[in-house]
Amino acid sequence: MTFDPTFSLHTGNDQIHLTTEEEEYRIGCRCAALCLETGPGSGGCSSWTSRRWSVTSMTPLQMTPASVWRRSLASRALPPHQKTPPSCQGRRGLAESLVRSLTSASYLMSSAHRKNPVVMTTQDSGIIPDYNSQDSTAAADPQQGVSLLGVGASPFCPMTPMTPMTPMTPVTERSGIIPQLQNIVSTVNLGCPLDLKFIALQARNAEYNPKRFAAVIMRIREPRTTALIFSSGKMVCTGAKSEEQSRLAARKYARVVQKLGFPARFLDFKIQNMVASCDVCFPIRLEGLVLTHQQFSSYEPELFPGLIYRMVKPRIVLLIFVSGKVVLTGAKERAEIYEAFENIYPILRGFRKQ
Amino acid sequence: MSGSGVSCPGCGSSNIVDDDLYSQAQMVCVDCGSVVSEGVLAHDPNGGSDVSYSWTTAVTRKPCVNLVKGLQRVKAICRILRVHKEIEDLSQAYYKQAYQHQSFIKVSLQKKEVLAGCCVLVSCRLLNWPITMGTMSCLLDADPMAVGVVYQEMVKVLSIEAPIVNVTDVMEAHSQEYKISPLHVPEQLAENSKDLAKRAVALVELAADTWIVTGRKPIPIMMAAIYLAWQSLKPSKQRLKFTLDRFCQIAKVNKHKAALKRITEMREVLCKLGREIPWLRAEVTPDNVARQVDDILKNRYALLRRALRTHEDALQAEDSLTEEAASSRASEPVEHTPTASAVGLCGLNSERTQQPGDGNESPCKAPELQSDSQETQESVPNWGKRVLFAPPCVTHPKRRRAGQPGLQDVTGDEEISDSEIDSYIRTPREAREFALTQKILSLSESEKS
Repeated sequence: MTFDPTFSLHTGNDQIHLTTEEEEYRIGCRCAALCLETGPGSGGCSSWTSRRWSVTSMTPLQMTPASVWRRSLASRALPPHQKTPPSCQGRRGLAESLVRSLTSASYLMSSAHRKNPVVMTTQDSGIIPDYNSQDSTAAADPQQGVSLLGVGASPFCPMTPMTPMTPMTPVTERSGIIPQLQNIVSTVNLGCPLDLKFIALQARNAEYNPKRFAAVIMRIREPRTTALIFSSGKMVCTGAKSEEQSRLAARKYARVVQKLGFPARFLDFKIQNMVASCDVCFPIRLEGLVLTHQQFSSYEPELFPGLIYRMVKPRIVLLIFVSGKVVLTGAKERAEIYEAFENIYPILRGFRKQ
Repeated sequence: MSGSGVSCPGCGSSNIVDDDLYSQAQMVCVDCGSVVSEGVLAHDPNGGSDVSYSWTTAVTRKPCVNLVKGLQRVKAICRILRVHKEIEDLSQAYYKQAYQHQSFIKVSLQKKEVLAGCCVLVSCRLLNWPITMGTMSCLLDADPMAVGVVYQEMVKVLSIEAPIVNVTDVMEAHSQEYKISPLHVPEQLAENSKDLAKRAVALVELAADTWIVTGRKPIPIMMAAIYLAWQSLKPSKQRLKFTLDRFCQIAKVNKHKAALKRITEMREVLCKLGREIPWLRAEVTPDNVARQVDDILKNRYALLRRALRTHEDALQAEDSLTEEAASSRASEPVEHTPTASAVGLCGLNSERTQQPGDGNESPCKAPELQSDSQETQESVPNWGKRVLFAPPCVTHPKRRRAGQPGLQDVTGDEEISDSEIDSYIRTPREAREFALTQKILSLSESEKS
């Protein structure tokens, strides 16, 4: 089976490319939204039976954006020492699941009525029986991503009956906005004591001022990050825009230290904090929000112009500003940020009207 | 008594007497006078021979001097603010509780005084007697940020959920500070404080409705409101020429720089509403809007509705023009859609989704979805500029340098090229020269000092 990981989907006036994780998440939202816009599937879909696409019995609505993201994460959640790059598999697995959701016949029917017909340029991925039993909870099984690829499918598959549309959650709750990661803080143990004076002398990109701070501050250009290297061999890496970039940057710092002659290793790499931001594009009444969510919010305009919202589940701190910009921090995983934003968005929508 | 059967180690006689007339009982040899044995000086305490200081002094222990002083300071602050007894009692209780907590027991005396002020502040908030942090920091003569830090720490330690201060509530108390009554200033400049406060409250309410108040410090807003109210109550040429500086001088208050910006923003809002007044012929500018403030405030809701409707009509007219332009370019691929038609698309979306009288909200989701980070920056000012009233930080966004696109599709496990790592390491010659330079520098510095 040849699978083109970057298939494009034309629908209406948008073109969605499956290239990055954010795009995939976006598609999940959009599909869910589109499917909800249409009513239950009408008759006459038998004309689609001869098509290449298979229709599963899973309602697209079961794929909430968070679950879509979690599924891709699950297939990505392979331990770091595995050779195969995880994100590639995750993308395929996700793409397949999206194809599944996109091929619900009613969606295709409604799209056909639009100006531009739906053109699916990708090849079919086939039915995987596992998917029928999946629900919207996170599929934590990392093997699933692998198994999807393993089951090679033929282009022509028998069709399963179409599911009636039962909207479970209203479309207004889907935000369609994705928080962009701005900063990742990670730590790693190089596993050997370091001579900071020597490092500061031999490395071009290092600064060391023991009177001010007891660590070497090293910077690299690509990914643009900063690292604090301590004499115990522990290192903190900040400034990366994604988990993978943070890991790559940490490896580069470790390689520099290695080249300087220390027996550096790469132990216990861990993401400690993730910061993301986004814009809901409408003004927010912070005074109202602090009144109704008093136990979570802290709003002191004399001290800080934003409202500090401490969400309990997931444990994320959000800074909400009157302009509609939201900063999310305190996450250890990307899914927590997306979940926190999906939790806060309906609350913010409630404070939108004057 | 003799005959105890013990012989003196000094002389060997058995003539030992028991001398317990005085405090310490001793067995003394009569012949040579040496002490054979002696009792204990003091009785063992009940708990054993270990004598603990805190246990023996527990009864006469005095409360901490600084705690007492701090409670008195709390009382003094309450008396200055003239709050009622409940607030005083509550703040004293909070102070006692917070003082003994580990985060406040060992801090400086200055911080303890700030803590006293914060206790009063939180009690006032809880019992519906709002005062601002600015007022408290003036009273304590402390840095407002320091007050803020202590306040937040205290609220966390004591687990208090205090309601926020409404600007309109604080307005009246704040306007008392301005010495603008007929007793203090000449007749043409004087104003009755009640009228002043009433007009200022109305101005602040209007500002709150139009997104000027949320997220901003309250005191500059109040100052701006009072200034504009004072100008508009008697909009003579003399008053209109008065700058904020001079006004603060005659009213004997400290000017806040931010108040100037608030005045400009408020005047803009008043102009937008003033334009909707049907019987006005002359143009409304920020300079002469003071004359219309009375009418504007009396009819502000009606004027707001009119302004929103006019704005909506203007938007629809604009959208129909751009829609025509956009349809002529429908053959273009979507990714090359110019911003104008993206705006048109946004306008179409907003038309479909918004209801009448809802002109302030126009979500631009379509451009959002198809744009990358750079385009998002362009679409944000779009939504701010397309609505009539928006928070000023949206209509005048800060210019941020465009973020670098950076790496895409990084897996984290890529190969790292040796040449890249080598570029971060000094050549041996470079390292030598660097070490030499450092040595010279440090020598010259030590010579100087």
